[in-house]
Formats: sequence, structure tokens, C-alpha cells
Amino acid sequence: MTSLNAIVPMLCVTAAAIAAMIAEAFRSPGERMPIGPLGAIGLTGAAIASALLWDHNASSFGVVTADNFGLFVTWVLIVVGLLSLAFSGPTVARERLPQGEYYALMLFAIAGMMLMATASDLLVIFLALEVLSLAVYVLTGIRRDSATGIEAALKYFLLGAFSSAFFLYGIAFTYGVTGSTRLDRIGSLIAAQSLAPTPMQLLALGLLFVGFAFKVSAVPFHMWTPDAYEAAPPAVTGFMSTGVKAAAFAAFARVFLTAFEPLKAQWGPVLWAVAAATMIVGSVVGVTQSSVKRMLAYSSIAHGGYLLVALLAANDIGKGAVLFYLLAYAVTNLGAFGVIAVLDNADRPNDRVRDYAGLSNDHPGLAALMTIFLLSLGGFPPLAGFIAKWYVFSAAVKAGYTWLAILGVLTSVVAVFFYLRIVVMMYMTPSDQPVQFPAVPRIAGFALVVSAVVVLYLGILPTRVLNWAAASISTIF
Amino acid sequence: MPFPILTSLIVVPIVGAILLLLVKDDEQHRTMLRIGAFVVTVLVFLQTLFLWARFDPASADFQFVERHAWIPAFGISYFVGVDGISLLLLVLTGFLTPLALLGSWESVHKHTRAFCMFVLLLESAMMGVFIALDLFLFYVFWDAMLIPMYFLIGIWGYERRVYAAVKFILYTMGGSVLMLLAILGLAFLHSTVPGAGGYSFDLTRIDQLQIPPNLQFWFFLAFALSFAIKVPVFPFHTWLPDAHVEAPTAGSVLLAGVLLKMGTYGLVRFAFPLFPLAASFFAPYLAGLAVIGIVYGALVAMVQPDMKKLVAYSSVSHLGFVVLGITAMNVQGVQGAVYQMLNHGISTGGLFLIVGMLSDRRHTRLIAEYGGLKNVVPRLVAAFLIITLSSIGLPGLNGFVGEFLILLGAFRWSPRLAACAATGIVLSAAYMLWMFQRVNYGPVSNQKNAGMMDLTPREWVVVVPIIAVAVLMGVLPNLFLRPIEPSVSRLVSRVQAGAPARIQARARLRSEIAPSFGAASQPPATSYQAPATSDQPR
Repeated sequence: MTSLNAIVPMLCVTAAAIAAMIAEAFRSPGERMPIGPLGAIGLTGAAIASALLWDHNASSFGVVTADNFGLFVTWVLIVVGLLSLAFSGPTVARERLPQGEYYALMLFAIAGMMLMATASDLLVIFLALEVLSLAVYVLTGIRRDSATGIEAALKYFLLGAFSSAFFLYGIAFTYGVTGSTRLDRIGSLIAAQSLAPTPMQLLALGLLFVGFAFKVSAVPFHMWTPDAYEAAPPAVTGFMSTGVKAAAFAAFARVFLTAFEPLKAQWGPVLWAVAAATMIVGSVVGVTQSSVKRMLAYSSIAHGGYLLVALLAANDIGKGAVLFYLLAYAVTNLGAFGVIAVLDNADRPNDRVRDYAGLSNDHPGLAALMTIFLLSLGGFPPLAGFIAKWYVFSAAVKAGYTWLAILGVLTSVVAVFFYLRIVVMMYMTPSDQPVQFPAVPRIAGFALVVSAVVVLYLGILPTRVLNWAAASISTIF
Repeated sequence: MPFPILTSLIVVPIVGAILLLLVKDDEQHRTMLRIGAFVVTVLVFLQTLFLWARFDPASADFQFVERHAWIPAFGISYFVGVDGISLLLLVLTGFLTPLALLGSWESVHKHTRAFCMFVLLLESAMMGVFIALDLFLFYVFWDAMLIPMYFLIGIWGYERRVYAAVKFILYTMGGSVLMLLAILGLAFLHSTVPGAGGYSFDLTRIDQLQIPPNLQFWFFLAFALSFAIKVPVFPFHTWLPDAHVEAPTAGSVLLAGVLLKMGTYGLVRFAFPLFPLAASFFAPYLAGLAVIGIVYGALVAMVQPDMKKLVAYSSVSHLGFVVLGITAMNVQGVQGAVYQMLNHGISTGGLFLIVGMLSDRRHTRLIAEYGGLKNVVPRLVAAFLIITLSSIGLPGLNGFVGEFLILLGAFRWSPRLAACAATGIVLSAAYMLWMFQRVNYGPVSNQKNAGMMDLTPREWVVVVPIIAVAVLMGVLPNLFLRPIEPSVSRLVSRVQAGAPARIQARARLRSEIAPSFGAASQPPATSYQAPATSDQPR
């Protein structure tokens, strides 16, 4: 059994997903079944399993490595999963979405993400990427009667398939150059080869880069993001914008900072430009959006840019910064989407910025929570987003990427403008007509409060998590 | 362990704000909320007074120091302390916050609980800015303070409040993010020094760094830009009239009284001592901008039809004096600057409170709407007059001492700049008195003013302390200057030691132009002892 250790967390989640499917199959129409809690049990099991695996550096089949780096990301994914389950409840119930399918897809996606975060072989990374992507494509279009949902899902699927092809070609070329798909072997082989990289190596590198850039929605591969984020149900959007990003960044970091580290002179400048473009486009275009979900889609693009900066800096701080940022961003962003999910409403989607006018009168608590999340996204102290940004920019300054850091802080000021637009609506603009915002379901409300507490905790007392993040990266890089 | 009094300055308002959550926010409980918040702020004020009483005025060191590791991996600590420069700013903050609450007592009708909470949170952050001795901690408070102020302006302000609030927060943040990078740069520089022990954001350690001139240049620019926007120094001042005019009375009072001081405080505490070479290079330019601000602010104030806007532009002018005093970087100049920060807090805070009282009664701030108030509300006008005179700098009131010291210091450095700045004093008399005359003298031209109410008991509680402090600071300046002096002397000598060229230039100036002013170390305060104060406690 020892060889299975490293995949136990994934097994827990997969088991929960299968259980959800079976439960759905035996559910008589109209019967209410607690399928969401089933997923929560699976995720809790995964959390315990990964806690037990900590510091053991377990490896399964030579292609999945549960090192601390992967486990940290696994925890982030578990947090993402638990919060997403909590926020999904109201949407699933109201939209009459097929419960079993919905939760099973979400759990399969999480299993895929976990695999992606711990995989140490390019083919397994590809496998994980496909598992999670397919589930997320379907989740994007889960509202079958919504034309925009179907359109966005198709667009996402086509572009995603395209990028998967790039990625697969990249793997093929890498195999052609090095004769292996194992990351450690690729790394040592590339390092051993001549100083000047061959065109084949560069081609492999470029193709893999495009594949990852698509998944982390880096400019110019970000086009699908706003459409997919806008059309999917808010809980799904929150899930995609944090989970997919966390998994993709984990794999991105692992592949580029271990296997392709020797070629950093080649990919470094490209990543520099992509990071700069991502930050600029994300924050500047976000300013012009009138849909909250689209706005947050651009915000998540911009945040991807900050993560790319940390990845590029790639010093001891930068690697830890990627992990801390992923956690802080996941909790904050999911919280924001959780608020949207709670307000989402069949006859009034509450997605225009204007729809938030007067929210502080009807739901002062909800408005306050949303403000905390938005300010954290904007990088205000004493919230998680500030520490995360500060960590990233420290890494950049230390690594000598001063201009990138300057660009980063300036774009974050631009982004503050659109986060504040929602705050302005909630607090400073009276609503045109009296609106009834829906009541807040208890579980979702509880999850929102927990997220806000975590955001404050990470902002005020970040030491412990920072140390974990630092300890996580020391094992592999 | 001694009682952590500085931490309690931060914690008490936060706890108070949380406790207010327990009170229902409706009609019946409104007064209870206000009283609760008021009691908390008075408590904080008493703490600051206690701090002052226990402060050792002979020492230039940081006192009441508390230090706890916060993020040890980066050398970030919770490190707070006060010296003579920050002590009285804390007292000022403690003094103005309850008055600001009283000033907005009646005019805040909606969301009273949130209003009180934001004022308390703002007070906590303001205290934090003045006591933080760790650069990271300082930045945290510096930015955190924007949020409550943003809400105060945006929710309870006047017509264009949203525009003003967003402009305020974006301007200030835009300036400060570059300072964050400079702070990071300093910490990394510290980590490159062998044996220094890695990263550190500790001000007292970063003080010891030998920063290469080219880095000083950039770091100083980043810090100075951030502070210059906050002050605001001339070309960066455009957010201020909007924010001041649109903010509710409490917001304007705290904005003018305390927040603007953070910019000048930052210059004194961080920008000049950390980067003396760059500071000496930039000082003439900064001083030039300050003088432009003095004259420009005064001229623009003169033509304002709106009282609040007039006071706002007068702030630009008055803070120009403070910056001028700092750039002179001699004991008189800096001491005058610190003193003037307090003065400006008292007199401009007072003016905003008075304007708030008028606008509570008449719901307008336009000068043209008033006239002849002296006949209707003589007591209010009397208070108005005293505070106006204190703002102009009439001898015997607080404003005079600060401006005089600053001009003295500036003259020793650059007589030309001092001469230009002095015109600001004349202009300030012109625009303030002209405004006062149009509002209060003459016949009652507008019948709506005829039935105005004079000072209510609550308003008496607001104006009496302000006037008392204005008089006290005018006749007993030594009481306030004594704790400031040691810290300022040390600061000045440190900056001068770091910028040798400047000392020579100054020495030359002194010998050629102003030989009569004596040695720099001579405590200047002695020359202000009014006869009536000879029995003051020593």
C-alpha cells in the first residue's frame, strides 16, 4: 500500500464524487438528499490525509509526489472545495440543477486539481489537466437553458482543447529532446546538455508555456476568461477562478522551476512581458466593466499577473509568495463570489454594478463582508491581500525586477478603483427602486463569515502560514 | 511588564468600535451610540494626557517602547514608541477626535453606529501611524487609515461626496505604493549588510544604514512623493479641497487636524533622517514648492465663495509653512514646524467645527448667504473670531509662535524663501478677515439668518477647549516646546551629519547673511516667554 500513499487525498475526493453519482442514481425525483455534505466529508478526509503526509515526501508510482509544496496547494484546493460546496447550495436549489452531477463534477475537478498540484510527470500533469478541465467545461454550461452559458462553455471548451493540444505537443517535443516525461530527468538532461539551447528545446518550452498561460489566463491567452466567468453560475465561477488557477500555478511552478529551470534565461524575459501585460490588461480593462462577474474576471486576470511576477522572481521569497498568494487569493475571491452567489436570483441576477446600490441597507452584514473581500483584493492592510501582494513585491524587488514591482503596485492602484465602485454602490448610492435582496442561507452565510475571518487572520497574523509556505517550498526547489 | 499604554491607544478605539456593534442602530439608541463613542474617545484622550505627563521631556530617545516579533522571517516587528516629535501629535489626535464627534453630533442622521465606528477605527489607525517605529507597521497603519476616512467622506459627506472619497483614496494610495517599494528596498539593503542580521524594517536599525547616494535619491523621491501628496505640497494638492469640502464636519476636522500632519510627520520622521544626502539635494526644490503653496493657497483661498473651501485652501497655505520649516532643517525651523502642525490642527480643526455649526443651522456654506451674524449669534461669532485670529497668527495665540519659529529657521537657511513665505502671513490675514467680515459684520442681509440659534451647550463644550488650548499654546509655548526640543535637536544634528555639504553651505550663509542669530544649538524657545508666563512650572 505504500505506493498509494501519495494519492490518498485524491482517492478520498474521488470516492466522494463516485458516492455522489451513486446517490443521484438512487435518488427518487423530488427527494432531497444531502449530497453536498458528502463532498465535504470527502474533502475533510483528504485534508486529514494530507496532514498525515506532511513532511513525508511520499511518492506514488514515481509520477505523483506528495511533497510539502503539493500538499500546501492541496490544502488550498480543499479550502476552495469546501467553500465552493457551501456557496453552491443556494444556486443548486434555486436553479434546480441536477444535484448529483453538479457535486460529482465539482469533486472530480478537485481531484484533478490535486493530481495536477502533486504530479511530477508531464503526462500525469496533462491527465490531471484534462480531468479538471472537462469537469469545469461542463460546470460552466450546467445551466442548460441559458444560451450564454452554453456559448461560454463551448468557447471555453474549444479554446481549452486548443491549448491542451499545444500542451500535448510541448510534452511530445520535450520527450523528443530528452527521452523522458519525468520532471526530474528532464531537468537533469537539459542541464547537462550544451549551454546554448537547441531550437527543439525552445519549441517544447514555448508550447508548454502557451498551455500553462492559457490555464492561468495570462494575457494574451485570457480571452475566454471574462466570458466563461460571466456565464457560469457564481459559485462555479468562484470555484474556477481560484481552484483552476491554484492547480495550474502549482504545475506551472513545478515544471518551470524544476525541469526548465536551466532555460530560465530563455523563458524569463517572455514571462516578464507576459506578467506585465497581464497586470496591465487585467486592471485597466477591469475598470470599464459594468458586470460584477466580468469585473472580477479581469481582477482575477490581474491577480494572475502578480502570481506570475512571484513565479518569475523565483527566489526563496518568490516561491513562498506563490503559495501564500494562492491561499489568500482563493479565500478572498471565493468570498466575493460567495456574496454574488448568495445574491444571485432567478428573476434578478444582481450582476450589474448598479444592482448593488443600497445593499448596505438591506443586508448590512453581507455588504460589510463584501467590502472586506473587495478591500483585500485591492490590497489594503490589514487584510490577506495586502500581505500577499507585499510578499510578491518583496520577491520582485529582491530579485531585481524593480520595474515589474513598480508596474505591479501602480496597476493595483488602478484596480482599487473598480473594487471601490462596488463599495460605492453598496454604501453610497441609494437604490433607484426598492429591491428585495434574497435572504442569506445559513450555511453560505457561515462560510462567508469564516472566509472573512481567514482573510483578517492572514492579514493580521500571517506568520504561521508564511512559515508553512516557506517550509513547503524548501522540499523541492 | 509595564502597562502597554501605546498599544492601548490603538486597541481601545477598536474595542470601543466592536462594543458599539452590541447597540442597536435605530432612533432610540442613537444618543447612546454617540455617547458611547464619545466616552471611548475621551478615554483615549486621557490616556494621551497621561502619556504626556509621564513623558521624560529631557530625553531625545523613544519612550514607552514596545517591541514584539510579528513576522520574524522578514524582521518585521510590532515596534512602537514615542519621542518629542510624535508625543504631542498623539495628544492632538486624542484631543480632536472627541471634539469631531461632538461637532457631528446632530448632523449625522443615518447609520449613526457605522459613523461612530468609523471615527473610532480612524482614531486607532491615526494613533498607529504616529507611534509605529517599524516601517512595515507604519505602512500598514498609513494605508489602513484610508478606509475609514473613505467611508466617512463617501457616506456622510455632502453632494459630491463619492467623487471626493474616491479621489482621496486613489490619490493617497497612488502616492504611497511607491513608498512601499522603497520600504522593501530599505529592508533588503539592510539584509545585504554583513552581520546586520538579515531583513529589518526597524527604523532604529535602518537609521544606521549607509545608503548609497543613488539609492537615497530614489528612496527619498518615493517617500517624499507619498508624503507630499498627503500634506499636500503644491502641485499634489488637488484632492484636498474636494475631500475637505465634501466631508462631514467630523471628517473635515480629522482630515485637516490630523491626517494632513501625517505627511509632514513622515517627512520629519522618515524622509529627512533616513536619506540626509538626498534630502539636502531636494530640500531647495521642496522648499520652493512649499513657498509656492503658501502664496498660491492663500491667493486661491481669497476668492472662494464657500467657507469650507476657503479653509481648505488655507490649509494648503499653512502646511506650506510646515514643509518650509522642515526643509530648513535647523532646530528653529523643525521645532516651529512641529509646533505649527499642532497649531494648524487646533485652529483649522476649530474653523471647520465653526463652519459646521453654521452649516448645521443654515445648510449652506456659501459666504454670500451670511452677513451680520454678529447681531444674531454674538457668542458664536466671538468664538469664530478667536479661532480666526489664531489661524492668522495673532501674537498671544498659538499660530504666531509656530509661524515665527518657522520663518526664523527659514531665514537662517534662505532669506529669500523666508521673505516670500512671509507674504503668506499677510495674505492669510487678508483672506481670513475678509471672510470673517462678510459673514459676521454689516446688517443682517438675509432674513433666514435672523432667527439663528446661538451656541448650544454641546457647542460650548466644543469651542471652549479649542479656545483654551489656542490661548495656552500662545502664551505658554514652552510647555509644548520643551518635550519637542531634544528630539528635534538630535534629528537635526543627525541629518546635518549625514549631509556635510549642506552644513558648509549653511555655515557660509550664516556667517555672510545672518550672523546675529547665534549657534544652532541654542534653544530658541526662550525668546518667546511672554511676561505673563514667568511663573510657569519648569
